Amino acid sequence: MGGSTNLPPGFHFFPSDEELVIHFLRRKAALLPCRPDIVPTLPQNRYDPWELNGKALQAGNQWYFFSQATQSRASRNGCWNPIGADEAVSSGGSHVGLKKTLVFSIGEPFQATKTNWVMHEYHLLDGNVGTSTSGSSRKRSHKKKGQPDKECSNWVVCRVFESSYDSQVTFHEEDMELSCLDEVFLSLDDYDEVSLPKN
Amino acid sequence: MSISVNGQSCVPPGFRFHPTEEELLNYYLRKKVASEEIDLDVIRDVDLNKLEPWDIQEKCKIGSGPQNDWYFFSHKDKKYPTGTRTNRATAAGFWKATGRDKAIYNAVKRIGMRKTLVFYKGRAPHGQKSDWIMHEYRLDDPSSTTDAAPTATMVVSASTSSDAGQEDGWVVCRVFKKKHHHKDAGAGNGKRGGGGRDDGGKAARSSSPLYSSDDALDQILHYMGRSCKQEHELSSPRPRTATSRYLRPLETVLGGHGFMKLPPLESPSAAATARNSTTTPLAPKGDGNVEREVAHAEDLHQPHRDGGITDWAMMDRLVASHLNGQHDASTDQLCFDGTAGHAGGNDALDDTAVNGLAFYSAAATRLLGGAAAGSSDDDLWSFARSAASSERLSHVSP
Repeated sequence: MGGSTNLPPGFHFFPSDEELVIHFLRRKAALLPCRPDIVPTLPQNRYDPWELNGKALQAGNQWYFFSQATQSRASRNGCWNPIGADEAVSSGGSHVGLKKTLVFSIGEPFQATKTNWVMHEYHLLDGNVGTSTSGSSRKRSHKKKGQPDKECSNWVVCRVFESSYDSQVTFHEEDMELSCLDEVFLSLDDYDEVSLPKN
Repeated sequence: MSISVNGQSCVPPGFRFHPTEEELLNYYLRKKVASEEIDLDVIRDVDLNKLEPWDIQEKCKIGSGPQNDWYFFSHKDKKYPTGTRTNRATAAGFWKATGRDKAIYNAVKRIGMRKTLVFYKGRAPHGQKSDWIMHEYRLDDPSSTTDAAPTATMVVSASTSSDAGQEDGWVVCRVFKKKHHHKDAGAGNGKRGGGGRDDGGKAARSSSPLYSSDDALDQILHYMGRSCKQEHELSSPRPRTATSRYLRPLETVLGGHGFMKLPPLESPSAAATARNSTTTPLAPKGDGNVEREVAHAEDLHQPHRDGGITDWAMMDRLVASHLNGQHDASTDQLCFDGTAGHAGGNDALDDTAVNGLAFYSAAATRLLGGAAAGSSDDDLWSFARSAASSERLSHVSP
């Protein structure tokens, strides 16, 4: 599941936004090797999302790959359309990247059908390929605006998943939540503390 | 302390230690019990009595990335030399078991049990509940796998009942902070993937089939929560009385919709409902789904609907079908057909199931019935008593 690493069971590739930008995208853009080199580079507009299996890095129900950003995000059977506002990815207090969310639609434009396939596309922000800190004032201003600052390098790293699966949450976040019944019993425990009349 | 080789963390960036329950039990705990070596010292041994939950984060850190859950091995010792209970007190508080123990299955069979504990600050009768939750996993006792053990899963009440004789030895624990669902429901949408979750992502929180037996209950409770809320709203002009004071915890649990999980359509709970209603409504995913299915089943079985009463009858049926479903799930994960799954002569199991059902529906009816009528504390007391007595009962039964 996790690419070519010899980690023991229980380790899964589940990078944070920050990790994707700092450890993967930034190194890719700077032509540095990524270690481990597990995220493959794909031409973004060639594959439909369901074709990624075996080509992109699969982690759980998510697929990861590098790509060159393009204006048209069309593939053979449809295209990716941005939805929502872009999110800033920050690291150590400054914005280092931008996260766009896109949804895959099948068919011709204007009569396309939306699918459950979602892509997070991460971009580097201007001035962050090197260690330059210039432009930080501009960087701060983009947050609420639809249009981001000029993005540097056209490398992006993408996470694709089908939103009807759990993949977006975590691998198995259910473990981390109490079941409803547990919640009920937890609240019943409170009744213990109300002193019961003794029979 | 992070796992490291020559002082360098050897967890590559992007990787998280978040084992499945099966990995925890079948790989880590099994090796621990057998004293086999585990590559990378990911899960540390911890003396639970000497470690406060807030210190666990530092002690059980893995790699350098953000962590929401922490893992450790703990060796359980008896509280008293003669007793069977475990001492889980620390300097600042104590871990208290809650709910029922949950059986953990892999694809083939039951592999262990999970106990849920909550950390209370302070000392026993006056402890203050915290958000720290612990899941304590233990392997099945090899001798009791076949007959005695399955009953433990069906005992709905006393969490302490099922572990007599298993209070010794290694367990593996996962500690995390309980999420505040109300807050999360709002924040989650904005934070995680923006519109991605809004857009066709309503069902994104629904879980894999492994967890679906809980989902069935969630569905029921969702339904309960809704009627409870409605009924409470009806009676809300009343001033705050003692009753509403007692009701508050339940509201907190059931009232919010933020944390309710809708089961996926192919889930056994949906199948169970479909079995009741004899047709399979291919309802679109969404919030109205449960209600529609329930209403559908009601129409078929109870043509004369008279207000809230049928709701509860429906509830009981749902509980019953759930318990059947769970029962089958314990024999065969894939078989959800009511009776075909289990072999005859398994009377003990059936009894417990019935007891569990009786207790559960009694509890629900009492609590919520009391809430609806807004009647008096009597309901509450008798409920508490019945809960207490059934707890005693299950203490007695091994």
